[in-house]
Amino acid sequence: MKTLSYLIVLVLGVAGMLVSCGKFLEEHPQDSRDEETAYATLQELYQNGVLSLYNHIGGYADSQGLQGTGRGVYDLNTFTTDEAIMPTRGGDWYDGGFWQGLYLHRWGVNNDAIYDTWEYLYQVIILCNGSLEKINAYAALHPNDDVNAYIAEVRAFRAMFYYYTMDLFGRIPLVLSSGDRVGDVRQEERSEVFRFIVDELQAAAPLLSEEHSNLPGLYYGRITRPVVYFLLAKLALNAEIYSDDNWTDGNKPDGSQLFFEVEGQQLNAWETVKYYCGKITASGYILEPDYTQNFAVFNESSRENIFVIPMSKTLYTNQFIYLFRSRHYNHAKAYGLSGENGSSATIEVLKTFGYDTPEVDPRFEWCYFAGAVKDLDGNQIMLDDEVTPLVYEPWQVALDVSGKPYEKTAGARMKKYEVDKTGLKDGKLLDNDIVLFRYADVLLMQSEAQVRNGENGDTALNAVRGRAGASSRPATLANLLAERQMELAWEGWRRQDMIRFGIFTQAYSFRPQIENEESGFTTVFPIPEKVITMNQSLEQNIGYKVTVSY
Amino acid sequence: MKRNSYIPIICLWAFPFCFQSLSAQENPQTELPPDSILNIGYARGSLINLSGSVERITESQMNKEQITNPLEAIQGRVAGLTILKSSNGMAALESVRMRGTTSLTSGNDPLIIVDGVLGDLTMLTSIYPADIESFTILKDASETAQYGSRGASGVINIVTKKGVAGKTRVNYSGSFGIAHVYRHLDMLSGAEFRRVAAENNLQILDKGYDTDFQKEIEQVGLQQNHNIAFYGGGEASNYRVSLGYQDRQGVVDNESMKLFTANMNMSQKLLDGFIDCELGLFGSVKKNRTLFDTQKTFYSAATFNPTFPNHKNPETGGWDQITTASQITNPLAWMEVDNNNDASYLSAHARLTFNLMEDLKLVMFGSYTYNDAEDAQYLPTSVWANGQAYRGDRKSESLLGNLMLTYRKQAGAHFFDVLALGELEKNIYKGFYTTVTNFSSNALGYHNLQAGALRPWDGTGSYYEDPHLASFLGRVNYTYDNRYVVTLNARTDASSKFGRNHKWGFFPSASLAWNVTEEAFMKQFRSVDNLKLRVGYGLAGNQGGIDSYTTMALVRPNGVTPVGNAPLVTYESMKNVNPDLKWEVKHTFNAGFDLSMYGNRLLLSVNYYNSKTTDMLYQYNVSVPPFPYSTLLANLGSMRNSGTEVSVGVTPLKTKDMELNINANITFQKNKLLSLSGVYNGEYISASEYTAIAGLNGAGTHGGYNNIVYQIVGQPLGVFYLPHCEGLVSDGEGGYTYQIADLNGGGVNLEDGEDRYVAGQAIPKVLLGSNISFRYKNIDISLQINGAFGHKVYNGTSLSYMNMNSLPDYNVLAEAPKRMIKDQTATDYWLESGNYVNFDYLTVGWTVPLKPRRFLKGIRLAGTVNNLGTISGYSGLTPLVNSSLVDATLGVDDKRTYPLLRTYTVSLSLNF
Repeated sequence: MKTLSYLIVLVLGVAGMLVSCGKFLEEHPQDSRDEETAYATLQELYQNGVLSLYNHIGGYADSQGLQGTGRGVYDLNTFTTDEAIMPTRGGDWYDGGFWQGLYLHRWGVNNDAIYDTWEYLYQVIILCNGSLEKINAYAALHPNDDVNAYIAEVRAFRAMFYYYTMDLFGRIPLVLSSGDRVGDVRQEERSEVFRFIVDELQAAAPLLSEEHSNLPGLYYGRITRPVVYFLLAKLALNAEIYSDDNWTDGNKPDGSQLFFEVEGQQLNAWETVKYYCGKITASGYILEPDYTQNFAVFNESSRENIFVIPMSKTLYTNQFIYLFRSRHYNHAKAYGLSGENGSSATIEVLKTFGYDTPEVDPRFEWCYFAGAVKDLDGNQIMLDDEVTPLVYEPWQVALDVSGKPYEKTAGARMKKYEVDKTGLKDGKLLDNDIVLFRYADVLLMQSEAQVRNGENGDTALNAVRGRAGASSRPATLANLLAERQMELAWEGWRRQDMIRFGIFTQAYSFRPQIENEESGFTTVFPIPEKVITMNQSLEQNIGYKVTVSY
Repeated sequence: MKRNSYIPIICLWAFPFCFQSLSAQENPQTELPPDSILNIGYARGSLINLSGSVERITESQMNKEQITNPLEAIQGRVAGLTILKSSNGMAALESVRMRGTTSLTSGNDPLIIVDGVLGDLTMLTSIYPADIESFTILKDASETAQYGSRGASGVINIVTKKGVAGKTRVNYSGSFGIAHVYRHLDMLSGAEFRRVAAENNLQILDKGYDTDFQKEIEQVGLQQNHNIAFYGGGEASNYRVSLGYQDRQGVVDNESMKLFTANMNMSQKLLDGFIDCELGLFGSVKKNRTLFDTQKTFYSAATFNPTFPNHKNPETGGWDQITTASQITNPLAWMEVDNNNDASYLSAHARLTFNLMEDLKLVMFGSYTYNDAEDAQYLPTSVWANGQAYRGDRKSESLLGNLMLTYRKQAGAHFFDVLALGELEKNIYKGFYTTVTNFSSNALGYHNLQAGALRPWDGTGSYYEDPHLASFLGRVNYTYDNRYVVTLNARTDASSKFGRNHKWGFFPSASLAWNVTEEAFMKQFRSVDNLKLRVGYGLAGNQGGIDSYTTMALVRPNGVTPVGNAPLVTYESMKNVNPDLKWEVKHTFNAGFDLSMYGNRLLLSVNYYNSKTTDMLYQYNVSVPPFPYSTLLANLGSMRNSGTEVSVGVTPLKTKDMELNINANITFQKNKLLSLSGVYNGEYISASEYTAIAGLNGAGTHGGYNNIVYQIVGQPLGVFYLPHCEGLVSDGEGGYTYQIADLNGGGVNLEDGEDRYVAGQAIPKVLLGSNISFRYKNIDISLQINGAFGHKVYNGTSLSYMNMNSLPDYNVLAEAPKRMIKDQTATDYWLESGNYVNFDYLTVGWTVPLKPRRFLKGIRLAGTVNNLGTISGYSGLTPLVNSSLVDATLGVDDKRTYPLLRTYTVSLSLNF
């Protein structure tokens, strides 16, 4: 009997446990928030739906961020061109042939950096889709005018990421929701994506603030109307490329026959560029009298910069590794920072700037370290032996300088941005805002559009040259391409420019044209093979054969 | 009778071999008479009534080398159990695998149970090895099913020693040892470095010294262990208290470990034996100082310019650096890094057994475990620009309670053992960390964080998780006539980590056994003492590797954005959410037999197992887009593990004065990754074909084609997937490069899916553990030999250090100038056989013959040499690199191998 009562107690106990299990097994996170609560008020909707996205413009890990990091958007646009080269220096910078592969256009369909860049760009796009869904859901319950501005900003943000993705990969999927299934993801023709981006930006522009986004304030680092205008000008400038759905057939559309509806008018591509450049000029941007001011440690006051990645050593995690990875070890040490002795200027850069000639362009001095280098106090920097001065040898640059006398010193190095002596993380964490878009580019775009439209573009070109103290030149396509290389050195535009001018697939120093490249297939990167494995409905870009190296 | 009951137990841990001589008439190998009672999980049973695969190891079978971690006591002793010790021979275990890796997430470590308290590998550090009475190892699902989800990777049940009735006893055991390096890499000396540089027209920075930096960072490590135990008791109660202290120095400067442990057990009978009350308390405090980064340290020590001095520059007051060798730092500067880990552990438990009726018992058990680990690290300005301090604290708490009812009844030829159990477990994990940089002085290190000027936003953080588990178990063990045994388990587990409709998992198991020797017809085979055939099948769940909250749509801070002039923290979903997450299930079939013959002088046990893991939890690569993040924790793929374990014990010689025992176990193991695809959210999802697991680091290997070990569907987990090198070819300038084969035509391409092939596996196919012990009168000798075969090791160290291109920034192997290889492309050239036979230790002990005395009851002296040597064809330092843990070091010897060390220990054990 006694036993029985124990048994009853036990059974009741177990039953009680079962009942309470329902609650016992629920999770109550304390270090994370329920998603529903994070978009419940207008203010939080704005913070977590809109502002949150800006954390993805810069980055600190490889392939994350539009600029500042390695092996991402910037490197794919820079180290694949005649602007910059990462020479193999003995044990350094071989990296399994990665950098040589980029330079030679033999990057492969399984390139991890290309895959990671794809992943980064689409991650941001899907996050934008999620934000739009949250904002729309909120708006359905609480109609509010502010919400329209939020929607416009996120749509513009997404369009900008689509622009980078389309520029790199050509035929890409247009995904407009955050909850699609793999099977729903299909590629669109490049021209379709291009038109979508233009439409989105045009629709968003009127709802955005007119503020200068590079200035600290309510819109610091944000996509404002001038930023969107800049993007629209860029898109129109490259319209011949972006409207071309078969880029290996040797034909492309004519920009003067590509029309855009702009404020109710039909403008051709070049007129469209001019229109948006004019809008930017009207917004009050000017060329800073001092070129270097745009890249100073405290460059927030620049009246030339249009769109920047805000940088702060303690607040933001965004890094800028380009100075760090370029400068020689002793050069860095002289600043109390570190260096990786890597990226250098190509022979083409030296020629374009007229390096070693009496007519050297003044901007060479602002953008590159060449010859003997001094520390910030003006003293010659020495090598470890303390007697040999550190002298960069610009002309000795090559794809592989291993074992050569100038293995460690070949190549002119990146200068451009003022050294932040108090930089953290070896100097990768600094205070100079990273310049993505600036007004000098607007003037050069305008000049180019004028020339391409059969007009005279001298004024805009020579405004840029004059500010730098360079002599005037007539605005011809050849001069404009050279001007862009000098004015915009290290700014990540070179691949796009070379493609637009039709020289990306041609040979240049240390780079022979690869097989079938005359077709133009390398003007877009391959869809990462890993992505195709996971979504079999995606097609590889023309010219990239999967099983055989190309 | 009373005398008999305690003498053997004292012997058991005071003089193991004395025990063997005393019990010479019994079973010398297992020392378990068939009807002895043992704990099999929650159940208690005898060998006769057992139908699953269970191994029990008592003290006499444990390793007698100098042991830091309790599991080292059974290394090589249990078939199918792989223990990866940390290579410096002093810190915690790196991994333990029972019957291989069965899950791609973590949760592959076996469940550790100490006196009923459930825990993980970290709990082991709080147990002093000498306090352990026995290990019981449950391997197959029919027995591990008792633990449901937590037992999926096997169960190691540790029982610590308890007090016994009788007089109060005191036991002391202690040891003193020295550890020293007997081999490190043969790099160019200062003089050779100069000569080779001159011969190759290389300009070097010659500081005029000849320093062996590997030697400079080494030290002779002094080690001591002490343990004292008091125990005793009477009819109604007994107790045992022990205190232990270990102090170890590593063979690299500044490496040290201090460990204090305490263990208390008490039992009390109440109400005339109606209630048995057991209380236990164990805890430890560990202070560990280790290397901040072993790879950077050994890489620097091996390749730093040997013409540099072994002292600071008197002018600058700092260490001279070589700026052009950017991947390394003066190794002596590394020694100034202060990297400490302090951990304290406390566990308390109580068990009340109500003897309701003769056959019916109610057991209530509760335990509380608290673990606190603090990491403190200071990187001085000599190795880290501006200096950096880090402090972090991790706490975990675990509350476990269960209620169990057992009924055991012998009715004629029928024997029933029935058990019902309900259990709840709650864990709390929380912690925080902070990082401070920009130090104006190194003087205060991490002790005063205000000495650093800046606190980057991402350097500080904290977390909190509290997963819960609820479980119910029913178990029936039925034996007919001691001949036929059936065991059925039905366990259901529920975890808070899974989706709303997938919290519960049901994991049944069944096993059968036939005690053949109990049959009448076996009477004619008189030489056969025992023969038992076993077969079983069961399911086990796994959820160990996953984090909390993965099924919930949550947002976390993702960074700081400027708004106006004020920084603002924003929130974002940080991963793909899978609301349908559920249990991973492992299905295991097990069959085997146990045979003992000739008066138990020949023992043979053979087990075959075959397990299939389905609904495998893993961070699958998924397509971006449509997913925002590239991995999704889901239940998709499957994996198979199978193997055969053979244990043999032979006693060829057994007389009063002499005895020879040979024990060996061989495990043949196989693993195959069956699939990484499946249906998610109504559509078929396939992960990418090749996933790199381990690769190379160091100068010139950032990115590119330096992945070495992969996981590939259809292959064993961890295969070498490499380009094929056809040999060395001259580069026309006196050097040689690796000639890479064009395997698929169309030119050489090193990408995945191109000119690469599966060149071998990283996890051994065959494991060997063996022990030979010999006793002559009071002298005993024990030799432990372990081995592994059928796998390969990638010699990334030689690939890097043989590359003449890295001169003069990085030093090279002494052999490098002769071979003149100027290439560091990763190919199968440096893939070598990993087969080895390792002589783990040799112990010689002397049990001092004592006349019965008043106080001193026993003395034993022993001397041990650890790491006698290794037989292998491997050209690097040692093939004993990670070959079991699936992580970024699997199968790759890459500049991080410790110098080879040997330890000499003398130990003394006194029994009062």
